[in-house]
Amino acid sequence: MSSTESTQAAGNGHDEPAPLLRVEGLKKDFISGGSRMLGRAGNVVHAVDDVSFSVARGETFGLVGESGCGKSTVARCILRLLEPTAGRIVFDGVDIGPLAADEMRRLRRRMQIVFQDPFGSLNPRMNVEAIVKEPLVIHRIGEQHERSNRVIETLELVGVTEQQARRKPHEFSGGQRQRIALARALILQPDLVILDEPVSALDVSIQAQVLNLLRELQERLNLTYVFIVHDLAVAEYFCDRLAVLYLGAVMELTDRERLFRAPLHPYTGALLSAVPVPDPAVEREREHVVLAGEVSDELATGGCRFKARCPIGRDRDICGEEEPALIAHESGHLAACHFPGELHWLVEPSASEES
Amino acid sequence: MLKLVLTRTAASLVAIFGASILAFVLLRVAPADPARLLAGPFATEEVVEAQRVALGLKDSLVSQYFRYIGDFFQGDWGFSFSVGRPVIDQIGSRLPASIELGLYAFIFALVGAVICALLATYRRRRAVDHTINGFALFGLGTPPFWLALIVLLVFFGILDILPGPEGRLSPRQEAPPEVTRMYTIDALLAGQLGTFFDAGKHLLLPALVLGFAPWAFFFRLLRASLLEVSGEQYLATARSKGIRRWTAFRRHALPNAFLPTLTAAGLIFAALLAGSVLVESVYQWPGLGALVRDGVIEQDYAVVQAFILIGAFAYVVVNLVVDILYGVIDPRTRTGSAVTK
Amino acid sequence: MSTSVAEHGQGAGLSPEHGGHVLRVAGLQSEFRSRRGTVKAVRAVSLELEPGQRVGIVGESGSGKSAFALSVLGLLEPPGYVVGGEVILNGRNIAELDDRQMQTVRGKEISIVFQDPMSALNPVKTIGQQITETIRKHQPQLGKKGARAAAIELLRDVEVPAAGRRIDDYPHQYSGGMRQRVMIAIALANQPNVLIADEPTTALDVTTQAQVLTLLDRLVTERGTAVILITHNLGIVAQFCDVVYVMYAGRVVERAATADLFAHPVHPYTEALLRAVPRPDQLAQGPLPSIPGAPPNLAEVAPGCSFESRCPLGRGHKLCRTEVPVSTAAIGFGSGGATAECHFAKERVAEYLDGDATTA
Ligand SMILES: Nc1ncnc2c1ncn2[C@@H]1O[C@H](COP(=O)(O)OP(=O)(O)OP(=O)(O)O)[C@@H](O)[C@H]1O
Ligand SMILES: Nc1ncnc2c1ncn2[C@@H]1O[C@H](COP(=O)(O)OP(=O)(O)OP(=O)(O)O)[C@@H](O)[C@H]1O
Ligand code: SF4
Ligand code: SF4
Ligand SMILES: [Mg+2]
Ligand SMILES: [Mg+2]
Repeated sequence: MSSTESTQAAGNGHDEPAPLLRVEGLKKDFISGGSRMLGRAGNVVHAVDDVSFSVARGETFGLVGESGCGKSTVARCILRLLEPTAGRIVFDGVDIGPLAADEMRRLRRRMQIVFQDPFGSLNPRMNVEAIVKEPLVIHRIGEQHERSNRVIETLELVGVTEQQARRKPHEFSGGQRQRIALARALILQPDLVILDEPVSALDVSIQAQVLNLLRELQERLNLTYVFIVHDLAVAEYFCDRLAVLYLGAVMELTDRERLFRAPLHPYTGALLSAVPVPDPAVEREREHVVLAGEVSDELATGGCRFKARCPIGRDRDICGEEEPALIAHESGHLAACHFPGELHWLVEPSASEES
Repeated sequence: MLKLVLTRTAASLVAIFGASILAFVLLRVAPADPARLLAGPFATEEVVEAQRVALGLKDSLVSQYFRYIGDFFQGDWGFSFSVGRPVIDQIGSRLPASIELGLYAFIFALVGAVICALLATYRRRRAVDHTINGFALFGLGTPPFWLALIVLLVFFGILDILPGPEGRLSPRQEAPPEVTRMYTIDALLAGQLGTFFDAGKHLLLPALVLGFAPWAFFFRLLRASLLEVSGEQYLATARSKGIRRWTAFRRHALPNAFLPTLTAAGLIFAALLAGSVLVESVYQWPGLGALVRDGVIEQDYAVVQAFILIGAFAYVVVNLVVDILYGVIDPRTRTGSAVTK
Repeated sequence: MSTSVAEHGQGAGLSPEHGGHVLRVAGLQSEFRSRRGTVKAVRAVSLELEPGQRVGIVGESGSGKSAFALSVLGLLEPPGYVVGGEVILNGRNIAELDDRQMQTVRGKEISIVFQDPMSALNPVKTIGQQITETIRKHQPQLGKKGARAAAIELLRDVEVPAAGRRIDDYPHQYSGGMRQRVMIAIALANQPNVLIADEPTTALDVTTQAQVLTLLDRLVTERGTAVILITHNLGIVAQFCDVVYVMYAGRVVERAATADLFAHPVHPYTEALLRAVPRPDQLAQGPLPSIPGAPPNLAEVAPGCSFESRCPLGRGHKLCRTEVPVSTAAIGFGSGGATAECHFAKERVAEYLDGDATTA
């Protein structure tokens, strides 16, 4: 609960208008690993464990963290593709939890998602035009003729030509497929687009093209993005504000400047330090924090969920006894740690930085 | 592992129980009246009624069922009205013939399929692959009855190198001493090589014909999964250790390729054991198939009932064995943990 | 905590006239044949590796990195075929050896770690069985017991916790990072001179990636193993490698000592690649300098430079369109031996030298 309040503080720190999206105390549990055969009850995975943040209009909000930390689950709860176990999702002032199916359908037009896999997410039997048109058909928008025009306009927007629109997805490269997926999301003229690892499957040269396109579209269409990514370099390049997730909970939440320059949470510090810098001159000077152990599903009861791997708190009693709350240590800089900032010397900005 | 066996066995018992109820109910609701059949068409209604009481048909269904099961376990499988012999005797003489034929057909199918699948995939020679594949398609599309006649015509009628439709042994050949009642095995046990070869010759054609379609089916399954598995990275890993291609294939590809085939193999094995009416009648094979056909035509319940139970038993046991084999081959099913993507 | 991974090598760059190569690949060519046509995946690639040296190969997806690695080991499976070139390992051309003769080479003199630790281990065999398989193959004198003991020792060495117990686990009971440790254990079991690591950390999280790289660094340093590290992550190259080969469309378009390559990319593709990656240590503004278009289709190789349609320098240039550039020595800076495959390589080097001269 304290985290909810403080997040709002973070979101509205600069006296901004009401945010487009507010996630409050979101929880999602999965039952997994149960086995009747061995008479073992399924254990509950707290995939998302009390996550709160808000996203302002026109902003890019990043969710970063290692595989399995709950990024996609948050996204699917926002779209109500999954029913949250607890918590509220407020979109443009409307709590979407109690909405009836048809109201939700209307609202869903304004929130779209683009997935990571440009191969799996497009129906191989449909041509590109049909794929991009499908949302219009589903939502019964426009006449036949009008729809076709809109498809062509939208494809143009993402850089796919009219001639190419007759082709099937397998005739396109990964980057082009991601453009098509983007066109399908944009054709409904949404306000919010959730991008779940949209460039992770792409090569660097193609990745840059798609990132640039996303930027350009955001400016042109005044889009709001929730950007899910595990590549921190991409996150740093692309996001305005970010939340770092670990085992389903927010460890740190702030703007990119502070997150990447002066992280408060040891996990953020360790993550940043683990990313190799593509510059041998910098790389050979750097110290690396190599985290021990691996992410485990078993939550330590009580105490900090990062404790077992934490270079700072591993041997400190309080970290094992009391779960640190996500609180603002400076205005707009939240961290869930008893010893914020102790690791920050490890991630000094590089000397060769251009401004 | 023990737990797995126990839980699966328990599940099997439940399945057999279900089958027994089914067998029981099915025949109670059948149109023909066993008391009338037994008493004969000209008996008076009183006689038939007395017969009903004697047969226990007047009791409640539940007690009839329990009596039926109790009798079954004591070896009283009922009386075949049409033949006038206890069912257990009849089945006892027919079942081994069917099992023997089914067993050989299964071995032909499986061994043949493994060899052919390896030939078709290992060297990646298109011509070999296409040839065997075409043959398999033929096998899947050919009615066994027709095939049985054709090969009989060729090998007995024209070439005359294999015996004709005379059952399990040549007319003058004496059956080997009874142990398993499968002649090839009993002959070997008794050291009667002549009998063994005679029984073998008689088995050859029906077993091949019966196993042809299952062979084709196994071949297609195995070929597909071998192709899939041979692209797997762990084969490359094995070879990067210095293991030769064939060894890597045998050690790492085959066990994995076998997994998807296992369930199908179990079901087909059970089906083969139950015999085949058409192939048996072409070769005059004294198996279960013919017995059941007659039982159905004559409305002889007890025979059909016993057959259903035995069939269910065979399926359940074979499935149990398959499950356990799965556990032995695939550790992921053993630990019960989720298979990782 | 540990210090930077690549303290090793002291900037060991390319030494042009060095005879003592553990591995020398010359003009290696491989292709994939199908009814649709022949994909020339590796088009005359040459590479030299000194004892204990670390060479990085970077390039985009489909540039032929894996095909090259498999070709070196003779593990390319139909429809892939090696169609030319030499692979001299410890003075012997192993490209000429057959499967039987390769038994004593693979896993003993040269071994490989694959990208995906999920599929690179056999799901139905224990970890122990898969490690001892290679030990028993090449050190039969150890016997069954000895091989098992050695396997446990190896597992400890790659920092798998409770090695003695977990040796009997199956791959699905290991996490991705641990499986990759097992792969490294298998590859290093018989102390090979050369290890090829094909994207060993691509499937892993950053923190696990850092662990695995640190481990790999320690092990190969201890054993003096020469490494070819294949990756598309320029950060890993910067961290780990002495020399970098840049592959594009089946060719090595540039090679140079790591520091030189990052400071003075000669080939326009290398330069574009370096600029297209957002840097985690710099807060970038504005659009990323991306490379337009996509890599060429290797089934129909056009005349001229394969980068021409995307090249900021040579697009539309007649020379670039019609003539395949040859590998040019980028003489003048670094430790020598650097090459770039571009018609303008000499000019670009000269520019760099001018720039350096004016700043100095
Ligand atoms: N349908 C499901 N049933 C059971 N557990 C699930 C389900 N979906 C996700 N999980 C679990 O919830 C946790 C969070 O998963 P999620 O997919 O949100 O992670 P993520 O951060 O998106 O990871 P990645 O980077 O790998 O996509 C994981 O531990 C996952 O195993
Ligand atoms: N089995 C195959 N059949 C046909 N073509 C193939 C096959 N494997 C690879 N290729 C082709 O060979 C070329 C080189 O592939 P390779 O796997 O070596 O690329 P890579 O550089 O390793 O890429 P990645 O970074 O994606 O691993 C590609 O154009 C690819 O399409
Ligand atoms: S609370 Fe303690 S254990 Fe948790 S991150 Fe902070 S220092 Fe580490
Ligand atoms: S040869 Fe021409 S097209 Fe090719 S890289 Fe050099 S300048 Fe560009
Ligand atoms: Mg995800
Ligand atoms: Mg590859």
